Amino acid sequence: MKKRGKGIGISFYGTGYGNGFPDVSKAKLRLHDNGKIGIYVGATEVGQGAKTALLQIGAEILNLSTENLLFISEDTSLMPDSGTAAASRQTYNTGNAIKIACENFKDKLIEISKEELGLNSTHGLMVEKGEIYLEFFLQKRISFKELVNKYGDGTIEAEGEFIAQTVEMDPETGQGAPYWPYTFNACGVELEVDTLTGRVEILNVRFAQDVGRAVNPRLVEGQMDGGFAMALGYALFEDLNLVKGQIKSNKFSRYLIPTAMDMIDVEKILIEDPEPTAPYGAKGIGEPVMIPVAPAILNAIYDATGVRILELPVTPERLRKAMDTKKNEGNFNMELNALKR
Amino acid sequence: MKDIKLNVNGKDYTLNVDENIKLLGLLRDELGLTGAKEGCGEGECGACTVIMDGETVNSCLVMAFQADGSNILTIEGLEQNGELHPIQQAFIDVGAVQCGYCTPGMIMSVKALLDKNTNPTREEIREGISGNLCRCTGYNKIVDAAELSIKYLEEGRR
Repeated sequence: MKKRGKGIGISFYGTGYGNGFPDVSKAKLRLHDNGKIGIYVGATEVGQGAKTALLQIGAEILNLSTENLLFISEDTSLMPDSGTAAASRQTYNTGNAIKIACENFKDKLIEISKEELGLNSTHGLMVEKGEIYLEFFLQKRISFKELVNKYGDGTIEAEGEFIAQTVEMDPETGQGAPYWPYTFNACGVELEVDTLTGRVEILNVRFAQDVGRAVNPRLVEGQMDGGFAMALGYALFEDLNLVKGQIKSNKFSRYLIPTAMDMIDVEKILIEDPEPTAPYGAKGIGEPVMIPVAPAILNAIYDATGVRILELPVTPERLRKAMDTKKNEGNFNMELNALKR
Repeated sequence: MKDIKLNVNGKDYTLNVDENIKLLGLLRDELGLTGAKEGCGEGECGACTVIMDGETVNSCLVMAFQADGSNILTIEGLEQNGELHPIQQAFIDVGAVQCGYCTPGMIMSVKALLDKNTNPTREEIREGISGNLCRCTGYNKIVDAAELSIKYLEEGRR
């Protein structure tokens, strides 16, 4: 028999290392030949889109298209460190460091331009499209190229640093502010359980994720699809099969992860509620997108079968066993009730 | 050692190969075509997928001498005159690449599918790439990319 069920899972998740641990990102900007600006930052790209999203943040602040920027990362001999690509922290933490570095860099360009243009003050000087100009007297202007020709390649530079604010929890009272900011999400799953085989088939998925602001919506969607797939594997297939400390499922032929046929089109909803302390309000979502999925699946299995699964993965064998146990308990209770009467 | 002849990406090669090397090793180490990746080395992940005489193979499971007389197409053979193949362009345009390790194999599987079936359904696309594992994308954008490449290929044919 096939039984259908629906379930939801909701979660909130703290960004960054947290719990008072120093969470530091740094970035450096330099003006280069041909007027291009180099963003030097230790953020590591592992496919999550750090290079794209962080470059976009820099381009936005500098009023430049991304073609006029050089993004130089992943080499600590050339740049300051920005911590690990972990804890869903790069967009928020390193994004903030880049934002601060870009603002400092703009201030520096304006300060230098004031001298070069023979002005009394920096007031009214704007940085846009590779030029610095006086807002109300446009003839007063100087280009990045002119500046770099005069001062030399890479000599005009500025740095930025961002340190996340978190408070260690008191071990006695459990009080503190271990993370900031938090992201929120909700996942709804409809599925079908084959009561004969114990197989679970996902039929529909709706997934809403708060991102503060989606710097690059396509990348956010990619993270949500990826998080759902990983969590689907975690809930239904993936088992290291640890026996006396030895991983028995140590190959892809034994350790099953979802294939394209196991995955389903996910209806994705991006919630944009800008976080005031974040660069343009954007928060990281790398990890949170995995969290509500398994609870949603387990709740849907409960809705379909009345069975509460407390151990992952929900293999067909495990689900069949749990359903049988419940059935036997039911029979036992019925007999018990009959005896009482 | 064994003498073999094969054609890779339109170029003929006569090579003297060790009997115990695999096609993947031949492509990567002898010919310098490092697009195909070694993931699991046991035919489960599809990162090493290339097209051999019109069929996708896991090049980690094909011995180099077994490729004698065959036509091999790798990811490097898709680009023409500096222009990306429509499937490659579609992968970029929809954001179907995250870490990129599965991408060459994925694209070859999509290519082999579309060579045989010019207008597959989403389910047929899922089946066509089911031999290629991806941990990052959840596959959905890859399926989107395959659908977009159908459109690009049609436009190209017109």
